[in-house]
Amino acid sequence: MMNLLEIYDLHASIAGKEILKGIDLTIRAGEVHAIMGPNGAGKSTLSAVLTGNEQYEVTKGTVLLNGKDLLSMPAEVRAREGVFLSFQYPVEIPGVSMVNFMRTAVNEKRQYEGKEPLSATAFLKLMREKRALLEMADKLNNRSVNEGFSGGEKKKNEIFQMAMLEPCLSILDETDSGLDIDALRIVADGVNRLKTPQNASIVITHYQRLLDYIVPDYVHVLADGRIVKTGTKELALELEETGYVQFE
Amino acid sequence: MTAEKHIAAGQVEEWVLVDEQDVDLYVRQAANSVLRIVLVNFHSATNVLHIDHTASNCRTEVYALAFLKGKEHVETKTCMHHDVGEGVSEQVVKFVLDDEAKGAFVGELKIKKDAQRVEAQQTNRNILLSRTATMRTQPQLEIYADDVKASHGATTGQLDESALFYMRQRGISPESGRRMLLHAFMSDIVEKVSDEHQRQVLVDAIDGVLE
Repeated sequence: MMNLLEIYDLHASIAGKEILKGIDLTIRAGEVHAIMGPNGAGKSTLSAVLTGNEQYEVTKGTVLLNGKDLLSMPAEVRAREGVFLSFQYPVEIPGVSMVNFMRTAVNEKRQYEGKEPLSATAFLKLMREKRALLEMADKLNNRSVNEGFSGGEKKKNEIFQMAMLEPCLSILDETDSGLDIDALRIVADGVNRLKTPQNASIVITHYQRLLDYIVPDYVHVLADGRIVKTGTKELALELEETGYVQFE
Repeated sequence: MTAEKHIAAGQVEEWVLVDEQDVDLYVRQAANSVLRIVLVNFHSATNVLHIDHTASNCRTEVYALAFLKGKEHVETKTCMHHDVGEGVSEQVVKFVLDDEAKGAFVGELKIKKDAQRVEAQQTNRNILLSRTATMRTQPQLEIYADDVKASHGATTGQLDESALFYMRQRGISPESGRRMLLHAFMSDIVEKVSDEHQRQVLVDAIDGVLE
């Protein structure tokens, strides 16, 4: 199987403080990797660094996406190359409609791939299909991005955008936080249906609960900026029992 | 454009003033009249809007936008005088300043002693797109009546970096993202123009400056 993402000795800091202290991780197409760990371990920093958030400085290491140097690409190019982040706190953008936002994102990606932009009809049809996957209402189109959305609607909207953009690597950052059990099921179903042998996911979570719905092939424990333990889904259950104290 | 205007009782007026070099208006509104002014500047100008409510149940709406680059500078002053009660005024004043552009807003709001049950609102929002652009804002509220609802607020900031990053994470270039955020910021002024043709002319003009 092909290596989709390769991370070698990744170090990163924010405002001079080192958060990631040497991460090594390889993800192959078709795999789901869970990253668990105590608060402050660097879970969200890892997602920020992989997606090109310029607040963080990479001080050492290499990251390859499908063999290409990911760290040299600006954030928007990483996205067009297929890296998608489901944000822990999706941003509200008043005055920018979902339909306008999504059409710009889809067509700028298509342009990058050398494809023609989608026609208005084809685009709206695609929106409709993908909305159905997340059981979302039609009125969404004309609403401003995330503005006034409930916690559950925001997370569904993230997965909806993931469905629209068809990334090869999805990073789900605490997607379960703030979700009730029904919304969690819909979000997890959406993620599972988007899974193909060609793509992969990183599921960042503090709790085991989400992993009942999105079953990982590997579970990694991140503590103090390093992966300190790797196992299969049983490791998540074990952590549920013992907590993270042993790693702190 | 310098003028003294009288708006007769019950009359409804909408004035759209785009890129006038200097506006100096003195307006007196009679009972039950409605005045909406949409004032937009892309180049240097000085604007003074002096509006008096001389009778009850008047309504005034002022929506002003300046989008400036280079060394352009715009000063907008509003003098909203509620001389009689039961009136409503709403002012939304926005500046978008790039390069070394300068903006100034002076918002004088007077509610006389016997002008009860007035609702007056003044909002000033500004975005600075460069470190060398400057904005000066000066609300002047003089409220002598006690049974009124009056509010004002002023903020000056930059484009929302977290929104820009969110857009880039979806593959949207920083240039498109900036353009979309600025359109969104200015759209609530533009949408106040009732006439569809005039509104489209304004949207095109903003697009021209955004390029």
